[in-house]
Amino acid sequence: MLDPTDRATRGGPSLVQIADVFSRYANFTLGGGSATVAVMHRELLDKRQWLSPDNFTLCFALARLTPGTNLLAFCTGAGWLLRGMSGAVIALLAGSIPCTLMVVVATALFSHWQDNRWAQAAIHGAIAAAVAITVKTCWTIAHPHFKGRARFRVALIASAAFLLYVWLAVPPIEILLLAGVVGALLPPARA
Amino acid sequence: MNIILLYLLLLKGTVTAFAGLASLPVVQDALVVQHHVLTDTQLNEAVAITRSTPGPVGLYVVSVGYFVAGLPGAVAGWLAMITPALLIIPLVHFAGRRMEHPRVKSILQTIVIASAGLLLAAAIPLARDALTDPITLAIAAVSLGLLLTTRLDTLWIILGAALISLSASSLGVLTKVI
Repeated sequence: MLDPTDRATRGGPSLVQIADVFSRYANFTLGGGSATVAVMHRELLDKRQWLSPDNFTLCFALARLTPGTNLLAFCTGAGWLLRGMSGAVIALLAGSIPCTLMVVVATALFSHWQDNRWAQAAIHGAIAAAVAITVKTCWTIAHPHFKGRARFRVALIASAAFLLYVWLAVPPIEILLLAGVVGALLPPARA
Repeated sequence: MNIILLYLLLLKGTVTAFAGLASLPVVQDALVVQHHVLTDTQLNEAVAITRSTPGPVGLYVVSVGYFVAGLPGAVAGWLAMITPALLIIPLVHFAGRRMEHPRVKSILQTIVIASAGLLLAAAIPLARDALTDPITLAIAAVSLGLLLTTRLDTLWIILGAALISLSASSLGVLTKVI
């Protein structure tokens, strides 16, 4: 595992590098922000080692508790860990401007899009792939914790969250806050 | 409508919502019911547009802003979308310093794991909506297989899926013509 204080020990990436990575990878995934998080996991941890697994967990968990779009909160938190306030602002801008421009263009062209069966066919295929990406993302975010004796705990917490949401229609934020309380009460996990 | 008022109304939606389209009822109440600057049809269109372009679902407020007030409205929507994200900075600052504490670590891990369960639940309506015929089902199954077994970039998987769906659709048109 990497040193959790990446920024202090390794200087961290430059603002240009942050702008480059967040604009390229935080904007172009169909299927919503959660699928994008899997892409960011690969780019920030596996490929570049900018963030430690601990810091990724930190940003991901807190982004879920931040109001608004989780993905943008995640970008902001990661940018802040990488390069302080300027890193946070650059990551937020880079993570939101390109997809915003695409939505503005799409909204302006909407009447044309709506009737174009070729565009619709392509979009249908892309969204089907996005379902697979969303399912895979569940594994991407859970599996670093799924080891040793913690396996049972991980399966139990994930199933409980799933069932509370699907069967009892508990709002997601309440499930996440409940998870936080459970996490505080549980004895520390031993891998 | 005044752009600053539009920003504040959209912000009221985004800052009180914690997932995807959770801000929708607030935006609908403010813009459709109270101020009459948007129709329900436009709101639906905004959501549909955002789901067929890349990026997070929360982007629909940009589309809503555009419908209400053109480009300046879209800027107001963009600002309303990004403002709440800044709230994470004090959270990361506070929790990051205590990350070594086992209890803090345990809290964060439990939240992440619960999110994974929630995400799987969120995939259900998405699948019901998207996997409507054998071709889309096959695309999803093959994509999942590729994602789990290879390190192929998701961008290629999405482009490949779009291309296959497009080819299947044009083949369908050809067979109808013949």
